[in-house]
Amino acid sequence: MKEASNAMNDDAQERAIGASTDSREYLTFTLGAEEYGIDILHVQEIRGYDTVTKIANSPDFIKGVINMRGVIVPIIDMRLKFNLGEVEYNQFTVVIILNIVERVVGMVVDGVSDVIALRAEQIRPAPEFGAILDTAYINGLATLEERMVIMVDIEKLMTSEEMGLVERLRADISD
Amino acid sequence: MTIDMTRFYQVFFDEASEHLAEMESLLLELDVEAPDAEMLNAIFRAAHSIKGGAGTFGFADMAELTHVLETLLDRVRKQETALSTQIVDVSLQAGDLLRAQLEAHQEGREFSDKERLREVCAVLETLAGAPRQNAAPPVSPSAGAERSSQTWTLRFRVGEPGHPREEDLDSLLDALGDLGAVEPLDEGATPNARCWRLTTSSEPEAIVNLLAFVCDPKQIDISADESGASAEEGEGYGFFADASGAVSVTVSEADEGFGFFAGAPGAEALSETPEAAPASEPASEPASEPASEQPHIVQEPAQGYGFFINAPGADRAVDQDYPGYGLFGGSPGMDQVAALAVESREEQARGYGFFRTAPGVPGGAPESETPRQETGARPASGASAQPPRASSAQPQASSASKRATAGDTSIRVSVEKVDQLINLVGELVITHAMLAQSTSTLDPVLNERVHDGIANLERNSRDLQQAVMSIRMMPISFVFNRFPRVVRDTAAALGKKVNLRLVGEDTELDKGLIERLADPLNHLVRNSIDHGVEMPEQRLAAGKSETGDITLAASHRGGNVVVEVSDDGAGLSRERLLKKAAERGVPIAENAPDKEVWQLIFAPGFSTAERITDISGRGVGMDVVRRNIEAMNGRVEIDSEPGRGTRITIRLPLTLAILDGMSVQVDDEVFILPLTVIRESIRPQPGQCKTLAGKGHVVHVGDDYLPRVVLAELFGLEGARRAPEESILVIVDSNEGRAALQVEELGAQLQVVIKSLETNYRKVEGISGATIMGDGRVAMILDVDALVRLSRREH
Repeated sequence: MKEASNAMNDDAQERAIGASTDSREYLTFTLGAEEYGIDILHVQEIRGYDTVTKIANSPDFIKGVINMRGVIVPIIDMRLKFNLGEVEYNQFTVVIILNIVERVVGMVVDGVSDVIALRAEQIRPAPEFGAILDTAYINGLATLEERMVIMVDIEKLMTSEEMGLVERLRADISD
Repeated sequence: MTIDMTRFYQVFFDEASEHLAEMESLLLELDVEAPDAEMLNAIFRAAHSIKGGAGTFGFADMAELTHVLETLLDRVRKQETALSTQIVDVSLQAGDLLRAQLEAHQEGREFSDKERLREVCAVLETLAGAPRQNAAPPVSPSAGAERSSQTWTLRFRVGEPGHPREEDLDSLLDALGDLGAVEPLDEGATPNARCWRLTTSSEPEAIVNLLAFVCDPKQIDISADESGASAEEGEGYGFFADASGAVSVTVSEADEGFGFFAGAPGAEALSETPEAAPASEPASEPASEPASEQPHIVQEPAQGYGFFINAPGADRAVDQDYPGYGLFGGSPGMDQVAALAVESREEQARGYGFFRTAPGVPGGAPESETPRQETGARPASGASAQPPRASSAQPQASSASKRATAGDTSIRVSVEKVDQLINLVGELVITHAMLAQSTSTLDPVLNERVHDGIANLERNSRDLQQAVMSIRMMPISFVFNRFPRVVRDTAAALGKKVNLRLVGEDTELDKGLIERLADPLNHLVRNSIDHGVEMPEQRLAAGKSETGDITLAASHRGGNVVVEVSDDGAGLSRERLLKKAAERGVPIAENAPDKEVWQLIFAPGFSTAERITDISGRGVGMDVVRRNIEAMNGRVEIDSEPGRGTRITIRLPLTLAILDGMSVQVDDEVFILPLTVIRESIRPQPGQCKTLAGKGHVVHVGDDYLPRVVLAELFGLEGARRAPEESILVIVDSNEGRAALQVEELGAQLQVVIKSLETNYRKVEGISGATIMGDGRVAMILDVDALVRLSRREH
């Protein structure tokens, strides 16, 4: 996977050079067999998995909170959220720290693969289909070397009621 | 004492704009079809708080508007009036008006758009279904006095039978000056006709009685003058019908004087009050000829006054050369004059300056301690009479001068910067704890220098923490000092005699807490006067002294600040509270202990007062008090003895940022329990813990059965459950009464920096916040009240 990602990095750079001003950069990560992309502007950093402090009576996909340089950040395991079988936490477990509506949230995924630049027209509308994620949170699909990348509206997803991350009030405002 | 009021104006402005913003956002969120009761309550509370503050500080216009608004909201809240879009709209309009009024007060001018105000008030009243008279009761004691003041015009002819004699005029003017502000309108215009305008809150009888000393009151034409402006009246009366020059003199004097003082305290009044400024310019020309020096003099104080306000520092005076400024310009006593002007302006702001002449009156200013003399020195008295209203509009001017003097010894720093500093120091303390922990395993001999360094670091960071925290510490007198006024006004309005005693005003606590303490204390003190202290006759009948005692005491007690409000009044009535609870369907046992019965008064909408006064009785007060105090991690307790009085004790942490807690452990998870709630901890004996109906847990401690809150169960922590006998029970005080928290281990007592969970997550039931422990891990801070509620619900 590492090699693959190196190769892709080269590719990505080429694409980035050729990219016009209207292209945007996306971080792609994998969940199960699917590859997802999120707007990189929402990504604050990527870090390893630390021990978390559990939050009482929260759904099990909310692992708890961590102390990130004095800031208390909730950690969500997307693999648990979307029932992707066994999850284990080891030194390779990756947490994407997201910055959404002035909030900081950590998201555990299977792996982070790449940063890609895409122009708006490269993102095709998604048909109704059975992805892990509800179509409501999907902006569209992009093709990357024969692979399909599902573009996620991460802000909408994280502020959704389903995630239970923010109080309903906040979700309403941001919607 | 009252000079301190000006210090709190800014606090009021801040508070009020916060409340306004809150009210607006809630109104906007409100679902008209299915309004949320909690939201309606919150809107009402916001309006109520603004009214309370405005009343206290004497911003009568705001208090009046909020009262009308509150009446409507109260009906909506109690579902006597159905919520409609119109109500929301007009409430929002009222909010806008309040904001405009607030801005006006902030800039020290009078709110001008009276017409719009009347319009909105009218709509509010119609919606509330109350006729106008009923809906506009006096709003606050101090405001009431001002509001009811009326302008009377007295007309008489000197020397004529039944009319006062020339030599009596001065004493009459003095006497009337004691009632209110007198303003001779046509001095010197017609040989012996006099027309005085008197603005007073006294009854007409008082005026007549005074007049009777020097003349026959019946001969004198006393007419009520609502508008206050008299130029047209003077014409209509016909005094000056033939002398157009004289008319213009009168008009200019009256307008000048009135426009100037009504618009005080700003120099802006002179340049910005549209009627006053243009009127004064042309007027001074013709006036100076027939009426010798007088109009000229009138002009001077106006300029002088405006000038002083413009420049809080008297130093500028030397450089300024105003035309016609003969008296002050370049005079060696300039500084003193300026200082006096500032001083007496401050006095006016305090509310004492009603009857004083303007500081700038020629000849009068240097001796402005002797108001009577000035009133007697009448040449400029056209300008010297001052509508009391002006005094309410002066906070900004005097606070500006205060700031200038304070500038030498202190700097104004935004609270945000201080908070940032406190946060950073908190991080530093945590980092130190981490370092200390990881170096503790090192050999002390081999690593002596490291250990020394760590010890130094600890000392320094603790000192630093204290120093930084002390930036936010302020003596509680900042909030206490506003109460003598509150007590005086409230007691006067209710016809009671109350003596206020302040104890421990030097007790220091966090600025944030001080500000947030003001509102609850205000409610408590007003409540004590209204419901606690009896009328003088009742007190005498009960064998007590006529004057009631209210004590406000503050002290430090073991890392806490304890503030007590106590009175020697009637005490709470157990029967009335229980009856009311039954009426309102609040569940409480007939034989509940007193403490629980007293807690009833904190229930929303709970008021045993038979009548609703503008002071209290709507049943919002105590509800707000408890919410506010709990939001500060504090607690409220009531002790009351029928016939002997009531004592309300507020227990607060020293600061909002740091909490004294005890770490407790349940199933490998560490939680922080605030020290304030802990009573004792016990290791239960076998048989002490029981289970009710197979579900609810209780523990038998002393004579009581306390609910047993099993943390592991409540938080759904897996791990092996320990039998109660193997765990530890921490007896805690909660709003729901005492309870026992079952934990597995007790840890250390420590100070933790409070972090909000809501910044990045959301509110979690049973948890009031989080903190970072020495090892860098996050620990949750327990919210005991919520835990007890939660466990009650689960069973």
